[in-house]
Amino acid sequence: MNAPERPGFSGQQSVELPNPLPRPEGEFERLKEAWKAPRGISFITAVNNTYVGLWYVGTAFLFFILAGILALIMRAQLAAPEGDLVGHDLYNQLFTMHGTVMMFLFAVPAVEAASVYLLPNMQAARDLPFPRLSAYAFWAYFVGGIVFLCTIFFGLAPNGGWFMYPPLTGSKYSPADNADWWLLGIGFIEISAIAGAIEIIVGVMKTRAVGMSLDKLPIYSWAMLVFAIMIVIGFPAIILGTLLLELERAFDWPFFIAERGGDPLLWQHLFWFFGHPEVYIIFLPATGMVSMIVPAMAQTPLVGYRLIILALIATGFLSFGLWVHHMFATGLPKMSLSFFSAASTAVAVPSGIQVFAWIATIASGCMKLTTPSLFIIGFLFIFTLGGLTGVMVAMAPFDWQAHDSYFVVAHLHYVLIGGMVFPLFAAFYYWMPAASKYPLSETLGRWVFGLMFLGMNVTFLPMHITGLIGMPRRVYTYPVGMGWDALNLVSTIGAFMIAAGVAIFLYDFARKFRFASEDNAGNVWNASTLEWLPNGNYATRSIPSVTSRDPLWDQPNLSQDVEEGRYYLPGTVTGGREALVTSPFDARPQYILQIPGPGWQPVLAAVFTAAFFLLLTVKFVFASVICGVLAVACVIWWLWETDPGPVRPPADIGGGIVVPVYATGSVNHSWWAMVVLMVVAGMVFTCLIFSYLFLWLVNPSAWPPQDVNIPDEVRPSLAAGLYVLSAVLLARASALLRGDDRRSPRSVPVLIGVALLPLAGAAVTDLWSQWRMGFSPSAHAYGAAVYAILCFQTFFVLTSLIMGVYTIARWLAGRLDSVRRVTFDNTMLFWYYTVGQGLVALLVVHGFPRLTGGV
Amino acid sequence: MTGQRTLQVVLTLGGLIAWAVQFTVIYGVTSTLCGRGWADATLLGMGVVQATILVATLVTLAATGLLLLASLRMVRQQSGQAASATDDFLSRVGVLMNGLSLVIILWHGVPAFILPACA
Repeated sequence: MNAPERPGFSGQQSVELPNPLPRPEGEFERLKEAWKAPRGISFITAVNNTYVGLWYVGTAFLFFILAGILALIMRAQLAAPEGDLVGHDLYNQLFTMHGTVMMFLFAVPAVEAASVYLLPNMQAARDLPFPRLSAYAFWAYFVGGIVFLCTIFFGLAPNGGWFMYPPLTGSKYSPADNADWWLLGIGFIEISAIAGAIEIIVGVMKTRAVGMSLDKLPIYSWAMLVFAIMIVIGFPAIILGTLLLELERAFDWPFFIAERGGDPLLWQHLFWFFGHPEVYIIFLPATGMVSMIVPAMAQTPLVGYRLIILALIATGFLSFGLWVHHMFATGLPKMSLSFFSAASTAVAVPSGIQVFAWIATIASGCMKLTTPSLFIIGFLFIFTLGGLTGVMVAMAPFDWQAHDSYFVVAHLHYVLIGGMVFPLFAAFYYWMPAASKYPLSETLGRWVFGLMFLGMNVTFLPMHITGLIGMPRRVYTYPVGMGWDALNLVSTIGAFMIAAGVAIFLYDFARKFRFASEDNAGNVWNASTLEWLPNGNYATRSIPSVTSRDPLWDQPNLSQDVEEGRYYLPGTVTGGREALVTSPFDARPQYILQIPGPGWQPVLAAVFTAAFFLLLTVKFVFASVICGVLAVACVIWWLWETDPGPVRPPADIGGGIVVPVYATGSVNHSWWAMVVLMVVAGMVFTCLIFSYLFLWLVNPSAWPPQDVNIPDEVRPSLAAGLYVLSAVLLARASALLRGDDRRSPRSVPVLIGVALLPLAGAAVTDLWSQWRMGFSPSAHAYGAAVYAILCFQTFFVLTSLIMGVYTIARWLAGRLDSVRRVTFDNTMLFWYYTVGQGLVALLVVHGFPRLTGGV
Repeated sequence: MTGQRTLQVVLTLGGLIAWAVQFTVIYGVTSTLCGRGWADATLLGMGVVQATILVATLVTLAATGLLLLASLRMVRQQSGQAASATDDFLSRVGVLMNGLSLVIILWHGVPAFILPACA
């Protein structure tokens, strides 16, 4: 693969490179051997980001096609008034599945999948830091998603709309299992998304090319970083929401039943606190792709790099202040609505900044009208229109008129198709030469673009009018004479035009796509970023040092020097898979990360996790529990091989830089992952406390209800003391472990074992103190909220107990000592979090009713 | 992360964090007071909801203004010396972030002067 230099750019003169030529004999062969993908049936155990990334993208695209077919059936039904192609029940399932699959199984996974493939290559990392976690996320999503989609063939698909509002989706009005498929199926796919987000955050912050400091980070990496942080903050709300609604359906805990102190609006708050950021979660990665493609097509650096960073981060923040704009019609005070209206209009500013930056880049260069360029132009046109109608519905009075009408359907499709699907197609065409032996056809690409662009506008532009003249969304048919007939027919024709465009794309893809890494089509666009360096399963032969945002344009001979192994870590120093961990701000080498290779553990863990949730949905509780236990066992098997310790002395990676092959503490990549995981847990817990306070707000003079007594102060105080005691014991174990002598900290496992007792005792004491008061969680929302907090805390205590026992087992197996202590550190972090959460839970459950005096 | 880096992150993201605080306070207080029927109370001679919004807005505006000044000062200091590209980048992005945050915070305070508290 060649990476021609761009004429006219002032390249820096090559200084002495870190590693001399010729490279030692056998060095490259050992590197290739370490990264070789497994063959035969074991191929599915591959964890290389290139394989998993492509499977992931392919599966997401499969869901796009299938959800698109559901849309075509709906459009065929609505083509003429009083259509009878499908009945109302199937139609309900169709629109619910279309929205759900597009949002949860296509859009978020597609952008996450693309980043699994692209991020390491763009940052010249050998792989993401947790490749088995990527594989786990993919297989869980694949198995769960396919089973979930198949429910429509059995009439079991969810039918309450993609946002599943109770009371419609409560057990009273939806007694069948359809809603449970959504709640358990989607709830668990969120976990897969969070696993991917943790991987992305650590990957962007810790595994970059040397010298790729924050000011030189590709915009796509910035976008994915913001995207992943948004997932970490936003997705816990929907995880909690689905948990509460499932608890209500399964055990009659009335979180959303107004007669017993619940409130359906609580669901809307939880859903949209996730649901609106979700739009930007989908959109921001797409803008990251656009920011990579536009400079390559215009052959000029991106204009306004810092302004685009500003826009990405500001959008990430503001998107969490918009959720109530989906609830303008629920009767909230106008003052409250105005805050969300203000945020909804303010978020247009950063989006506008990005649009103008791309236009300026196009204007400052010489844009080639390739297929990716066409999709970018189409994106700018369609997304801008969607943004404008977005500002319209951000005005509460307008929204009251357009709410639940086809105007909203038009708006959201302009935003989502314009803002995500068109950039994704641009990305397919743009990065295909990096993944395939041949690029896609430019001639057919123009047909694909033309049909999709025209089809998109023919379908959805008339829907603005259809909505404004009164057609509500989600009706399975309509009578003659409403004035909607012709508009609907036009929309249906447009939908089939989009389908024709996608069909041509599939034909071209089947014709041209041949998976390749070393013999890929190469840098056909003369792009400037590192994913276009020569690479193989091992990513790049050596890890480059970069001095600009456009290294392939600004650093002469970079491709050749990297390929010859003249940059950092040109081989493997431990004999296995490795990545170079760099500092988060300046990307200075810190240590060599020993990466686990292929294995059945993540695949089996994912299959059993999916089976646990899916079997629970159909009430096969025993089989489900067995699968849950097997999933945990597989995860432990998987973890057992991690934390390898310093298997050799520090190694020279080139240029006189010597780095260790093992690190602990805040430098370590898994420390970062654990911190992110704790943020996720903290967000779920925060949403739970919000739910508790929300239910208090809607229950004047009934918190707790008159017939409920709250426990005295003794037992909660005892529980708090036990939590603190367990943390102190663990801190003592940590201090002992810091000793240099392997024999002196002999009491470490004993201390951990002893610390388990007060931790378990605290949870039991608190549960018992509530239980003995005799109130039922199904009698009133108060009891439901209290027991939800208790159960949540108990889950964390149980997890800490498992981690504690696992840590002791590693000690006994000689896999934990004063140097090799990452496992201990992770257990300790999680333990401290559990203790902190337990103390806050005690304070809220026991302190708040006393503070408010029961009113 | 060193102390200096932590300070840089706070300077860079501080304005948006201030907006998040303002937003949480004004929405939380409005919802609670209106939901509980406590909105008739007065504070500083005006309705408690309006007063809360005013105070939250002024405090977060002041904090963001200070952050903006600190970011500008850091940019000026760095232009006179050989600061690293990362430091320079973070300071300049901080100026942009805090500037934008000032406008956004002000924008969210406006409804207090236009709309009734709980209607």
